[in-house]
Amino acid sequence: MERDLVEYIVKSLVDNPDAVNIKVIEGEKSTILELRVAESDIGKVIGKNGRIARAIRTILSASASAQSKRVILEILD
Amino acid sequence: MVYEFEGKTEREAVEAAARELGLDTDAFDVEIIESQGGGLFRKGKVRIRVHVKDDVSSPAPVSEKLDASEVPEERVSASKIPADEFEQSMIEWTKGIIERMGYAAEVSVAFREPKKLGLRIDTDSASILIGKKGRNIDALQLLANVYAGMLGHEDTKIVLDSENYRLRREESLVRLAYETAEQVRRTGRSVLLEPMNPFERRIIHTTLNDIIDIETKSEGEGLMKQVRVMLKGRK
Repeated sequence: MERDLVEYIVKSLVDNPDAVNIKVIEGEKSTILELRVAESDIGKVIGKNGRIARAIRTILSASASAQSKRVILEILD
Repeated sequence: MVYEFEGKTEREAVEAAARELGLDTDAFDVEIIESQGGGLFRKGKVRIRVHVKDDVSSPAPVSEKLDASEVPEERVSASKIPADEFEQSMIEWTKGIIERMGYAAEVSVAFREPKKLGLRIDTDSASILIGKKGRNIDALQLLANVYAGMLGHEDTKIVLDSENYRLRREESLVRLAYETAEQVRRTGRSVLLEPMNPFERRIIHTTLNDIIDIETKSEGEGLMKQVRVMLKGRK
């Protein structure tokens, strides 16, 4: 669910969609999504002053499944 | 260039195309892609694809030249259809995100301006998609603009709207501006408004620009700054 959403968004914004990798860690009260992208794409996912990362997190928190469970997006480098 | 139009009959669809594109009906080739005949009480529907030779492209729409017999509803549905691959991609992308958020929505073209494309989101989940003070729709719009850039349209501004939120927000900001000015005048004290994005701040500034005894200025750093409303010549 959340994974599909993040994958769809991130793949549309990067130059190397094949390098997009998301690991889902399900907890009891929250879900953690660990996102990895190609090194050259990290800036594209984070954006100036973190604008893009913030927008992705905002959309994630507005998704239907996030209404019942906390979803955390971590961008790994 | 290839465009798609629809109408109740083939003729209507072709006329809609000619009107939208500002061309004579013989200036383009027509291909029928979908045709449903209308019965006595049933509306027919014909979708056509129009191929325009690039050298005759004269995009100026001539919507003023409508005859009286035209039904406005058809004008809207004709222009809502994506006119090119870029618009189609933007619609599909937006719909794709909303669906993966777990909501159902229809996305269509709301308006076209030079270097601007407005998309309209029709959904039962508008309140969550818009979010508090437009947080969610603004986030989606930001990403839509990045995606437009990925498609080579970095000079086209994408505007997303649902249930006329943009207009309603603008109206409430104008009201807020006047009320704040009144309060400043009454108390003699300046007021610092909540953080706003550049578009929202501009509405406050321009609304109060014409009021002689009131002054506005932005404070803070970054994208979200705060507007201070104060009496002219005073801190």
